[in-house]
Amino acid sequence: MNIVIDGKSCTCEPGEFLLEVARRNGIYIPTLCNHEGLLGQGCCRVCIVEVVERGWSKTVVSCIYPVLNECEVHTNNEKIKQQRGIILRLLQKRAPQSEIIAALCKAYSAPALDKLNEKDGKCIICGLCVRACSTLGAGAIATVNRGITKEIAPPFNEPPADCIGCGSCARVCPTKAIEYHENETTRTVWEKTFTLVHCASCGAQMGTQEELNFAAEKAGTEPSTLCDACRKKQLALVMADVYSAT
Amino acid sequence: MTEEILSLITKYPKELRYALAAMQDMQRQFKHVPREGIELLAQHIGCKTAQLYSMATFYKALSLDAKGKHIIKLCDGTACHIRGANQLIDGIERLLGIAPGETSQDGLFSLELVNCLGSCAIAPVMVVDETYYSKVTLEKLPEIIDAYREVTP
Repeated sequence: MNIVIDGKSCTCEPGEFLLEVARRNGIYIPTLCNHEGLLGQGCCRVCIVEVVERGWSKTVVSCIYPVLNECEVHTNNEKIKQQRGIILRLLQKRAPQSEIIAALCKAYSAPALDKLNEKDGKCIICGLCVRACSTLGAGAIATVNRGITKEIAPPFNEPPADCIGCGSCARVCPTKAIEYHENETTRTVWEKTFTLVHCASCGAQMGTQEELNFAAEKAGTEPSTLCDACRKKQLALVMADVYSAT
Repeated sequence: MTEEILSLITKYPKELRYALAAMQDMQRQFKHVPREGIELLAQHIGCKTAQLYSMATFYKALSLDAKGKHIIKLCDGTACHIRGANQLIDGIERLLGIAPGETSQDGLFSLELVNCLGSCAIAPVMVVDETYYSKVTLEKLPEIIDAYREVTP
């Protein structure tokens, strides 16, 4: 089927998410909580667009809006710019230290909202980190409390016992709100410090021991001491031996 | 305490959907959900501690800190508010020295503010444990509270 996005005719499958169709056709829609590995979070509301269907107009969240009928989409008209501006400013009130939100506010000339109290930090509580952690299987962090006191935290506000130090939470975070430090030998996340393991052959960094153990346990093997590249090399050598022997 | 917790949680099948019921049982028995309880329940169900901690902090009916022996729920909904629930809050503070959300020093009373108990016709309403008190006034307050104080021999 065909839909029109910002005057451009785009082909899509029925049920496909609007954001994906737009991206595929080179149309930019700003997003925060959208991550290609964890689709459907749909809570930052930055990616709103206007959909006009049979003369009826509505504002939808493009990352979780399945295209079912032929329609005309406006991703950046005045109405959307204004609404997005307000959403961005509200997000900025919640996360004033976030650079990406500040940049987006500037780009969409978001209106000033003076009367609202400002919170602290960079987190917009989109929950992407919690989803990444539980999807991975570690499940070390969660959303705590509710309403205005809701936050992302490990249980009992202590360094989480279930954390394997993989750093996925920090990597998926759209506003870089999760503190994450790494040097040659250690990695610190959620106030828990992990020792980094290096490849026995080439010395490349392979992640934390907990991470390797977790992966090995999931796969039902022994934790590897070689990095991916060296393991491939070793396998190739074994193969070469087999062939040269025959 | 470990045995008590285990006897509570092992009554339930090892499924996440029974977690809330198990935590409510703990709240009832211990007047709070103890940390050990969350950890043992996670082990029993086979889920993560973080998931249960999230649940325990989400519901107002569950508390991580120990609550008093008797829970006073004072309604501060629209009707009760207009009929002077505010004065009752002050009255309780004078009587027991606790503000909403706090527990008295002797561990006997906890005060909670609620938004509506659905009994607006008898406002202002106060509930101690499971008993409803209607049209509470500052004069009635000491009498109601004293009935729950343990009589020292």
